Amino acid sequence: MTSITTELKVSAFLAYKSIAKGNKGTSALTILIMALAFVNLMFMASLFTGLTDASEDQVIETLYSNIVIEPKDEETYIKSPDSVMKKVGSVPGVLGISAQYLTASTIAHKEKSGAWTVRSVDPDDEITVSSVPKMMIAGECLSKYDRDEIVIGKEIAGGHGGSLEHLSLGGVVVGDTVEVAFKNGVRREYRIKGIFDTNFIQSNQLAYITEKEMESVLGTTDMTSQILVKTDGKGGEDKYVEQFTMLGVHEDIKTWTVYAGIVATITQSFTAINTLISVIGLFVAGITIFIVIYVSTVSKRRQIGILRAIGIKESIIIRSYVFQAVFYAICGCITGLLVMFMILVPYYTRHPLVFPMGDVTLVIEQKNAIARGVALVAAALVAGFIPSWQAVRETILDAIWGD
Amino acid sequence: MTNMEQDTIITTRNLSRTYTLGTMKVPALNHVTLDIRRGEFAAIMGKSGSGKSTLLHQLGLLDTPTEGKITIDGAEISGLSESEQTIFRLEKFGYVFQEYAILPELTALENVYLPAMALGLSQDECVTKGMDALEMVGLAERADHRPKEMSGGEQQRVAIARALINKPKILFADEPTANLDSVSSRQILELFRKLNQDMGQTILMVTHELEDVDLVDRVIWLADGEVV
Ligand SMILES: Nc1ncnc2c1ncn2[C@@H]1O[C@H](COP(=O)(O)OP(=O)(O)OP(=O)(O)O)[C@@H](O)[C@H]1O
Ligand SMILES: [Mg+2]
Repeated sequence: MTSITTELKVSAFLAYKSIAKGNKGTSALTILIMALAFVNLMFMASLFTGLTDASEDQVIETLYSNIVIEPKDEETYIKSPDSVMKKVGSVPGVLGISAQYLTASTIAHKEKSGAWTVRSVDPDDEITVSSVPKMMIAGECLSKYDRDEIVIGKEIAGGHGGSLEHLSLGGVVVGDTVEVAFKNGVRREYRIKGIFDTNFIQSNQLAYITEKEMESVLGTTDMTSQILVKTDGKGGEDKYVEQFTMLGVHEDIKTWTVYAGIVATITQSFTAINTLISVIGLFVAGITIFIVIYVSTVSKRRQIGILRAIGIKESIIIRSYVFQAVFYAICGCITGLLVMFMILVPYYTRHPLVFPMGDVTLVIEQKNAIARGVALVAAALVAGFIPSWQAVRETILDAIWGD
Repeated sequence: MTNMEQDTIITTRNLSRTYTLGTMKVPALNHVTLDIRRGEFAAIMGKSGSGKSTLLHQLGLLDTPTEGKITIDGAEISGLSESEQTIFRLEKFGYVFQEYAILPELTALENVYLPAMALGLSQDECVTKGMDALEMVGLAERADHRPKEMSGGEQQRVAIARALINKPKILFADEPTANLDSVSSRQILELFRKLNQDMGQTILMVTHELEDVDLVDRVIWLADGEVV
């Protein structure tokens, strides 16, 4: 006789009337608290995503580009790098290629010195795979035929407020001379041509000299320890790796993601904090809804009794309260999203948070927003159900006339 | 089925309701056996505490007797589950309580058609029937008013309209006029009598007022939980 659609209709009707004709202040406050709960849930997740995104972008932009081609395990250098570069360059979608030679070195200025990695590059190629040449904070970047000049990161130079200031050269400036002791024993003096700041602690510890200069240091040509390949967009690297292999590149081809371990260690501790805060946030939201619905069922105790007396099913009554709770939760999610998109995201875009891996803004991922919205609505379902279920437990006579 | 059986809508046999307060037993109803005929307008009277409300609650399925048997419209009540009883109340009963028991958030019309909506009637049917019921109690022009905008007597008439919306087999009323002035009380009793006479509405009404006696078909007198 009474179908489920009828029941839902009556529940929705009662819930609607209760919200529409009930206390507007209570509704507004409840929605506000739900919105805060949602923002609380979203904020850390978005910051976390922003943090991960920023770190990944830094790894790609300033350290490894999208794809790194390395010598096979037993080799130290890539054999015939020119042929590798030719093959890689023939693949559509490849935007840049740069061969690098890496060597450990000691860089010294006056009594200060430290151990850093020196990368030698062809500046004309390097600009196609790396943002470092665009991030000079003093002086200029290298040009192809520079010989006695070096470009260093701010963590090496010091004096720019880096996190590793105590290990730096203590504030060398453009024009200063530094002595570089290479691993093969060669020592050379270089004039500092430029200092760069990538905002990323890892790449800020690199020094660059030209390929031409390195050839003279090593006394040989064509030494390549890695080839960086820039591809269009982040995330589609695997298909390029396949194509390179098919074209006969037999070196070790890795995507930047294998270096994402750097990112993972940086962001790992945030995951735990984030989970904890989310769980607490959900509890607070659930308890808020519980209290709101509980107060409502207590103040409407007699009405609930009357509804039951005139033959309105208990399930209809319970559902009317669950609907209200879900309504508050959904409104809270929507309000919370508006707050995120219209206030917080623009604010942090204008005032990014400064982290050792770079400037971090809030990044809202759709799957995160949906998961958190669903969690909040689920909490509301439970929190709306419990008090209304309790309310219909008592006898009709007690509900109407009891004290 | 004999004529007699067909004409009886409520029968009780040895109906008792005993309240337990701590270790004390309060027998509010004591082995009540009675029959109510279809179309009867019966008043339940007696001193305060004699068990009038208790009897009405047992017959109206708002409470469960401790002992005895109730048959309503051919159905043995003790055989019905709680949810079957809820549907029974929705389909077959109408209630008017002493306090004007309508919902403050709904308009008069919405209050009235809520039970019809719960029976699965369409919005249009609900409105039509609701307006008819309001017409019957003389409040058609107040359809969109909320309870707080109405007098006690008007609210009680809204409650009566709601009680009538599903064309109940039995209308239960527990001192429906106790909170009203004599004019409003008169209006409501006249309405009950009209419903009973014109439509053959079975009505069971608890009352204190001796002057109501000449309006009803029959008076069931209670004393100490027993029919006298
Ligand atoms: N919930 C209860 N718990 C305990 N005793 C109760 C309860 N309800 C009623 N009683 C007792 O049962 C008896 C009958 O009560 P009932 O309410 O039926 O009387 P009544 O005839 O309706 O009285 P009134 O005219 O005052 O409304 C009274 O003695 C009352 O104290
Ligand atoms: Mg009473």
